[in-house]
Amino acid sequence: MKFKLVFTLLIAFLFLCSPLLVSAQRKVTIRVLMPLGGGYTKEAQMKLAQEFMKAYPQVEVKMEFVGWAELWDKIISSIASGSPPDVIYIGSRWIPALADMDAIIPLDKYITPEKYAMYPESVWNTVRYKGHIWGVVRAMSTKCLIYNAKILEKYGVTKIPETWDELLEAVKKCYHPEEGIYGFLIAGAKFVSTVSQFQNWLYANGGLIVDPKTGKALINNTAGVEALEFYAKLAKYAEPNPIQWRREDLIQLFKAGKAAFYVDHVFNLIKAIKAGIDADAAPIPRGPHAKQPTACVLITDSIAIPKLSKHKDWAWKFIAFMTDLKHQTEFDLALGFIPPMKAERKLLFFQRWWYRPYIYMIKYGVPEAAGIKDWEAVQDVICTAIQKVLLGQATAKEALDEAAAKINEIQGIKG
Amino acid sequence: MKEGGLKPYLLILPLAFVLAFITYSMAETIYLSFFEVSYLNPFYKKFVGLGNYLWLFTHPSPTRPYILDWLTRSLIWVASSVSVKVLIGLGGALILNEEFKGRGIFRALTVAPWAIPWAMAAMMWAWVYNNQYGILDSILMHIDKYTGLFKALGIKLPLAFIGLPLPSFISCLIADIWAGVPFMTMVFLAGLQAIPQELYDAAMIDGASSFQKFRHVTLPQLSPIIMVASLFSIVWTFNSFDFIWILTQGGPLHATETLPIAIYNVAFRWLRVGGLGKGAALSVIQIAIVSTVIYFYMKLLRRG
Repeated sequence: MKFKLVFTLLIAFLFLCSPLLVSAQRKVTIRVLMPLGGGYTKEAQMKLAQEFMKAYPQVEVKMEFVGWAELWDKIISSIASGSPPDVIYIGSRWIPALADMDAIIPLDKYITPEKYAMYPESVWNTVRYKGHIWGVVRAMSTKCLIYNAKILEKYGVTKIPETWDELLEAVKKCYHPEEGIYGFLIAGAKFVSTVSQFQNWLYANGGLIVDPKTGKALINNTAGVEALEFYAKLAKYAEPNPIQWRREDLIQLFKAGKAAFYVDHVFNLIKAIKAGIDADAAPIPRGPHAKQPTACVLITDSIAIPKLSKHKDWAWKFIAFMTDLKHQTEFDLALGFIPPMKAERKLLFFQRWWYRPYIYMIKYGVPEAAGIKDWEAVQDVICTAIQKVLLGQATAKEALDEAAAKINEIQGIKG
Repeated sequence: MKEGGLKPYLLILPLAFVLAFITYSMAETIYLSFFEVSYLNPFYKKFVGLGNYLWLFTHPSPTRPYILDWLTRSLIWVASSVSVKVLIGLGGALILNEEFKGRGIFRALTVAPWAIPWAMAAMMWAWVYNNQYGILDSILMHIDKYTGLFKALGIKLPLAFIGLPLPSFISCLIADIWAGVPFMTMVFLAGLQAIPQELYDAAMIDGASSFQKFRHVTLPQLSPIIMVASLFSIVWTFNSFDFIWILTQGGPLHATETLPIAIYNVAFRWLRVGGLGKGAALSVIQIAIVSTVIYFYMKLLRRG
């Protein structure tokens, strides 16, 4: 009797619970891959997921985290395994490779005219490939010429350089290695940021790595050769053996008051100011072939949807949610990134004097990898060319001719 | 079956699993080396026969020197690293085998490099080699300041330990040796302590000098251990990746690009000029080389 009663109650309980079970089963689960490190915290990203789930109770967001250094490996291994996350955070420079491999989908159909109008054209260009948009920009950085005003004053540099000639002259004036002061700081290590440092000068001279339409290497044209020659000239007045240095470490020298000029992003300008350096920033001086007053490399990270995602519409909804004005602003304010959205720039926070030159550079920003189909391989080629010139093993022309031939081969262009 | 029953088979089961796993991985690598594989598209697989091997040996790759450069560099890397590790390890073990005050502390310090994760140790070496804030250049500059030694030799300080091709190779090598010496020292020390004291007593009665004792007692007794330890070290050093990647990423100008670095680049970084198939072919070559070395070593070992 007792057994019968317990059994009946159990059946009744299961029966009552069944709608709950069904509704739980009906819940859509989307997986989101996000990086950690470089200011990206787990807590902030989890908060975003919780807000989304609150707004859309029928969706469960599963956040997956990976260190920045492992992000690329994680993305390709998850795609290769056939079960990638529904939303992935990527360096925009990876877009051509991922798009060519049919690993991500174009987002044109999702992006409304209102969404499109929120960002400047130069920002969209960083996620455009073969005429399509493959990601929504999440984080962005521009570069400026940072200078130590006290050193400039000490050595009689009265005008902030606007051209390469002016910069070289100022750098020469400030170069006093016997006092531990260098005119400029150069990155030459085998690392991605060495290439991006060179790209600033390449773009400031009107050059490009490849033609974004044809994919053919342009790096060895006059603008490119002049840029690499100029980079090597600056190296003569820089810290000893720049091949040992990554851009990321140069701030250690700058905030120790050891250099007059160098190129870096806004965080390191702020770091230098906090360290007591009388530092300021200006647009990157233009080269002799420049058609614009300045230019710099525009590096962005973006959010994309893998082709194998089973919930593409929900994935897009999540992307739209995390990149709406409110959440994007919260993100940029928390991390201090250069704001990709036009409306964000009006905020008081971004009106601070140290942000102004960096925001000004957005307009003149050139995408890091426009038209480059295999960034990692091309990056190695350019880095080798830079190192050859810095080590005096080749002229800029020789190194870039060799690099251009290799880039064309990587791009699949014959002749 | 009667004596041990199922017990020996049960005990050997974990080893069988490990062997099965290794065999599967190796077979998969060899299989992949005959295909053109897209890492991003798991459904794309095209049989190319020996195409990947031919590519490695004949194709003037756009992003790296020829395979022969990688092989030569790797062999120099392994030969110099292992021989120095053996020499320092043996010397260290002989010293630590002697009775002296504070021996326990020195023994503990010898193992210290092992206590640090290799990635962190590599970062530490990067700062040691830094030419502005690194301790090495700082010491050299102090020596020069008081003795004028480097000025007299015409050597300009600070030195570019990881800023020039050859110094970079040597600097990575030193870091790798630093990490490998504790193993050698500890294994040799254990070996030394196992040598019967009677042999030394007999040598002493025969009037043998310290060197003769080392030459005719210590070395022959220790040689099987030296062989085994260096065999392990060869395999580990061949696969050494962390120190090189963190210190130089294979640069400057490919000077530190050994086979593991090349495999990583070809398989995972160069999507268009490389690929998993080519990376697998390169891995097969490395496996073949390491296996050949092991084979001859084992042969030597058996000969005693």
